[in-house]
Amino acid sequence: MAFTFSTLIQQIINGLSLGSVYALIAVGYSLVYSILLFSNFAHGGFLVVGGYACYYLLTQWGYSVAVSMFGALIASGVAAVLTERLAYKPIRERTSMTLYLLIASMGVNIIIENLFVVTVGGRIRALPQNTFPTGIFNLWGGVTLSASDILSLVTAVIFLSLLQLFLNRTRWGLAIRAAACDIRTAGLMGVNVTFLISLVFFVAGVLAAVGGIFLSVRYSLYPQLGSITTKAFIAAVIGGLGSLPGAVVGSLILGLAEMLTAGFISSQMRDLVVYSLLVIMLLIRPAGFFGKEISEKI
Amino acid sequence: MLELSHVNMKFGGVNALSDMTFHVPERSLTGIIGPNGAGKTTIFNIISGVYTPTSGNIYFQGSDITPLRAYQIIRLGIARTFQNLRLFTRSSVLENVMTAAQNRYISSFREEIFSGSVTQTHSPDPSCWYNFWESCFHLGRWGKTERKLRETSLELLDRVGLADRADQAAGTLPYGMQRRLEIARALALSPKLLMLDEPAAGMNPEEVFELNDLITGIHRDFNLTILVIEHHMDLIMKICPHIICLNFGAKLAEGSGEEIQNNPEVLTAYLGSDEEGE
Amino acid sequence: MKRNIILILIGLCLAFWPMGGYQEGIVILMCINCIAAMGVSILTGFTGIFTLGHAAYMALGAYTTAILTVRYGVHWFPAIIAGGLMAVLLAWLIGVPTLKLTGDYYAIASIGLGEAIRLILENWQSFTRGARGFPGIDPYTTRSTAVVIFVFLMIITFNFLQSRLGRELKASRDDATAASLMGFNTPRTRMKALVISAFFCGIAGSLLGGYMSFIQPSMFDMMKSTELTAVVVFGGLGSMSGTILGSAAITLIMEYFRDISQYRMLIYGLLLVIIMVFRPEGLLGSNEVWDLWGFLKKWRRKKNA
Repeated sequence: MAFTFSTLIQQIINGLSLGSVYALIAVGYSLVYSILLFSNFAHGGFLVVGGYACYYLLTQWGYSVAVSMFGALIASGVAAVLTERLAYKPIRERTSMTLYLLIASMGVNIIIENLFVVTVGGRIRALPQNTFPTGIFNLWGGVTLSASDILSLVTAVIFLSLLQLFLNRTRWGLAIRAAACDIRTAGLMGVNVTFLISLVFFVAGVLAAVGGIFLSVRYSLYPQLGSITTKAFIAAVIGGLGSLPGAVVGSLILGLAEMLTAGFISSQMRDLVVYSLLVIMLLIRPAGFFGKEISEKI
Repeated sequence: MLELSHVNMKFGGVNALSDMTFHVPERSLTGIIGPNGAGKTTIFNIISGVYTPTSGNIYFQGSDITPLRAYQIIRLGIARTFQNLRLFTRSSVLENVMTAAQNRYISSFREEIFSGSVTQTHSPDPSCWYNFWESCFHLGRWGKTERKLRETSLELLDRVGLADRADQAAGTLPYGMQRRLEIARALALSPKLLMLDEPAAGMNPEEVFELNDLITGIHRDFNLTILVIEHHMDLIMKICPHIICLNFGAKLAEGSGEEIQNNPEVLTAYLGSDEEGE
Repeated sequence: MKRNIILILIGLCLAFWPMGGYQEGIVILMCINCIAAMGVSILTGFTGIFTLGHAAYMALGAYTTAILTVRYGVHWFPAIIAGGLMAVLLAWLIGVPTLKLTGDYYAIASIGLGEAIRLILENWQSFTRGARGFPGIDPYTTRSTAVVIFVFLMIITFNFLQSRLGRELKASRDDATAASLMGFNTPRTRMKALVISAFFCGIAGSLLGGYMSFIQPSMFDMMKSTELTAVVVFGGLGSMSGTILGSAAITLIMEYFRDISQYRMLIYGLLLVIIMVFRPEGLLGSNEVWDLWGFLKKWRRKKNA
């Protein structure tokens, strides 16, 4: 493909838009990692719950867009909390090995995915056309900017700022930041750790739902949609596991890398570039851009 | 035998060791004492290659071991125990010792013909060695070697008084026994220099008394040089003819137990002074 | 020695006991799954390196053998060995830079590598026929072939776990720093484990190709890798006989639910969570079957006394 300036701009716009969706997912994942230090593979499941909740509230029960979205966020948050309580909490109480949590989270992901396969079928669905504004703005030289691009960027900025405010300005936000440093000490200082972890999962679930709704608008809705979270994990790792600014930066880098590859090399190479990026990053700097290097005392 | 020469170690901006120089003579039993945070364990970590010093050199039997990796240094004949126990907790007591015993190395000096310099090399002790295919099919040297490893390990366990616990998982032993197992495991490497990192930590007086005998007995019977870290002064005073005292990462004093006890600087470090009460 | 004879007898039964075509298929599948699971168990259960990308080594073995037999007319047996060796080669190339990573980082890197290998196989149309798959492989994996290879590898595995190498792997799993201070070159230990496990997975992949007569990159996706690791955890981390029993059990359970294939994955997911919640140490913990025999004897003696 020939290099043109307009393609570059176009792909940067697409990349930022995709990256902002990744960011919503990656931040939730990173938040859980920062507290419990394990990779929550069920995160993709929460996203699917959000997507389907929004779909059914809109189409079957005919609620307005705002109510449906709100309902989807709550549903996904509740799914996350339930997962924590039913699957993770008993494991955490029994052992400190995060490996077990990791495998359980894979199990939960498979369960959620296949619950939808069994109940509503694997059919690909689409949110109704008029859910979100669909206008396309023509900029110069054939570059287009769709309303959904703007919307996803704006929503991501809003939600991430809200999260930032929550973490920095509220008591529970402070508790979460303390727990991210050392959860046991936070518990000893009188923080209700059980509630705190549930809260973190709820927030992560809500963010995943936002990501899920945008993904189902951008692509379509199907039970395996959650597998796209692998990309968000990669973004979080590139940025530095457990670091929220890292997750955002990593997501934007990943979104841009994907779209630029699609625009200038070939769209089949997209995933390959993403995975290579991950491996290269892990080799150069395993802790990511913002992560902490952990050293062990002997 | 072992010589540290102007060793400095910095972590971030903090000087963990500064200009550390001392010499451990062959067959000696040397103690290192000092208050918490004086850099005692850092010395062991630097000697055994866990850390590479920021500057300075370490010589073992005349050759410079500063740039070597941990496993290479161990193979030259240095073994150590750990302050916070690091056993292979899920393996049995016997397996712990056998794991070390299979790694016996014979080190020797080799003269580089062209450069003319002398370097130390190590090759596996043939009586502990068999290759991958022999382990896959349990043929050839496997049977004889495994039997020998088992016997040597049981002897060592007997020596530290753990022979009857051989089949127990190492992680389930009581604390004092785990410490003794660490000593047996280090001895299994048949080292020339044995470094014990706070072997008496967490032991009751009776156990410390037994430990005294164990350490002096090992020193007598195994033809070893021993370096002990302790902050129990009494243990060190009793068994070590030669003592090095550290404070704030620097050597404060060196000499016999009596000299150390009468050294005013040591007394200040331990009991505190008017300027800096600890 | 007694153990080996028992294993060989079980193998002879599996290989020559008269049974129908459907049961034969299950036995073959069981052998293949067990070989792959043993490979992952060596790495995850005995060396403590958690992997989520080992299906890629199966894919590599399968494609190597398929291409060698179909395109170049190589006899299937050397082609299977070549499949294993190809996986070894790749594991070594990958291991040199990535084995420095520990914990979740290696697991995530292995996802990336596994998926990258699958994508390369999918996109290298001229060589692998891409996503549509590679048909027309000779059905060289008969029941006796699969069983013989499985029993052979199983005996080797049990043997080397009970030797220098086994102790070396376990030492580096329990405490890598202490292992290096016992004279082990731990990066090399990890490499040994990775290379052996890749060999097993490569062989398993080659056998799978010969059994299905058709392979496709999507057969070796992240799901398959997860399954391999999950089976090892189910059997017990650090228990080879547990891994084998667990893998055989999961194969049978999955086969039993074949008719309600919709619910298959759901049950699989539930199984994973339930095991983690109620028995995270797996079927046998880190004990082998014959250890249990010892416990039983001790327990009986205690009861009698």
